Amino acid sequence: MSIIEVNHLTKYYGKAKARGIVDVSFNVEEGEIFGFIGPNGAGKSTTIRLFLSLIYPSSGTAKIFGKDCIQFGPEIRQEIGYLPSEVFYYEGMKVLDLLNYSASFYKKDCSKRLHELADIMELDLTRRIDDLSYGNKKKVGIVQGLLHQPKLIILDEPTSGLDPLMQRKFFDLIREENERGATVFFSSHILGEVQKMCNRVAIIKEGSIINIQDIKTMQQDNYKKIRIAGNGLDETRFEVAGVNNLEHENGSINFFFKGDINLMMRLISEQEVADVTIEEPTLEEIFMHYYE
Amino acid sequence: MNIFLRELKANRKSLLIWSGITILFVIIGFSKFSAYEGNPELLAILDEFPTPVIEALSLKAFNLTTVTGFFGVMFSYFALLLSISAAMWGSDIISKEERDKTVEFSLTLPVTRGRLITAKALSALVNSIVLLFVTWGAILAGAANYETDSEFFSFVAISMLALFIMQLVFLAVGLFLGCAMSQYKRSASVAVSLLLGTYFLSIISGLNKNLEFLKYFSPFKYFNPATLLHESKVDMLYVGLSAAIVVVAMVGAYLSYSKRDLYI
Repeated sequence: MSIIEVNHLTKYYGKAKARGIVDVSFNVEEGEIFGFIGPNGAGKSTTIRLFLSLIYPSSGTAKIFGKDCIQFGPEIRQEIGYLPSEVFYYEGMKVLDLLNYSASFYKKDCSKRLHELADIMELDLTRRIDDLSYGNKKKVGIVQGLLHQPKLIILDEPTSGLDPLMQRKFFDLIREENERGATVFFSSHILGEVQKMCNRVAIIKEGSIINIQDIKTMQQDNYKKIRIAGNGLDETRFEVAGVNNLEHENGSINFFFKGDINLMMRLISEQEVADVTIEEPTLEEIFMHYYE
Repeated sequence: MNIFLRELKANRKSLLIWSGITILFVIIGFSKFSAYEGNPELLAILDEFPTPVIEALSLKAFNLTTVTGFFGVMFSYFALLLSISAAMWGSDIISKEERDKTVEFSLTLPVTRGRLITAKALSALVNSIVLLFVTWGAILAGAANYETDSEFFSFVAISMLALFIMQLVFLAVGLFLGCAMSQYKRSASVAVSLLLGTYFLSIISGLNKNLEFLKYFSPFKYFNPATLLHESKVDMLYVGLSAAIVVVAMVGAYLSYSKRDLYI
């Protein structure tokens, strides 16, 4: 069963018809961790806000659990956990009061899970929301989004503000929830974390979906970003099939490569090199070079 | 219930501040009155004021040297205070969610927007009622030092009813503006500007017979303190008109808020 079904979903904002998203269609299956990546302003948050009926579509529909997001919004949200990219809570409340307040809206007893999650995230429940740092507010958001053990978890750039240790705990937590049966919709602009977590990924650019791919296939056809440093490098040797955007500057050669990595290793070994780096291109680089 | 209680708690400070303002106002008012009390020379001075000024300050209908008359003159100031607080609470209680970006929390919970408005409106209503009773109590406490008669108490009571209706009108208008305006930052200032606009309309409508029709557009003209004193009842025509405004504003609030995009 599809947990999320999006059909030709389109959103223009206001009278100026500012582009939000245009004709977006995809499905998210039950039990999946579905990645949703794109640069800032591509329409990721717009899509999520449409799911949560904070805003209304200009045309098209979105269904969650087989029910229309607008018509059955409150009912659907019983089973959705949402972690926004930036969390804003009522000031002047203690963390525990806020979490209890949030829990009071769900039709089940959440207090046990609430305390478990707070322990895992090392969240001090007695502090006031106003006094918390950005990262600690984010932790409150994580606990608040998961305390009712939702069937669908929607994450909008969830790791910003979390230190690496907390990020790992958070990803473990999301994996656990996923193994328990929760479907996860994971929006991010960091390709690495999406690749680590997700089964499938949709790439959104300027409001439109440009690709939906299996993560494994995507990694296979991924380009590598290669940088070779050294004296007297002969860049013409690298003008072979699969090499893109070859640049020679300040004694180093930079290019993207897609193909047999053994061939590339042989080419590099012919040179007298001082340093070699081979890395995944950033998402921005993928966008700039391959989706134009 | 949880939204209602949280809002009450969140607005405690604001209620305290408004109560403080009202009590201070009563104290200052009565300290002035102590100068007028039983002072016939004052009446002679007032007689020389130009008629429009007398009208605007509703000095004609009241004898400033008695507590009853003094309260009659003060009525419109209490009306202003209570209406402004109601209008601001109404618009703010809705728009602050967008201003503070908490709407991304409160409306991603499993609640309908309608339920949110109902809970918030009731919370703002309770605040308004509490402030009304604080005003009432402060006036009675202030008057305790002076000579009062039964007419005074019934006049204050019927005035409180009139003030309550005005609170309801401006609360509903405030709620409507908070719900309907996508420029949420401006909803409170628009609510108060509208309110002050209708207040000046009420003064203008008293200046000239040809402008008298304007009184229908100003809730400040709906309940004349002189009529309240002499007839001890509120004019049902204006009660009906107030009820109509409240109903239209509330229906508008629910409809517009349920249909519009929320800005984050």
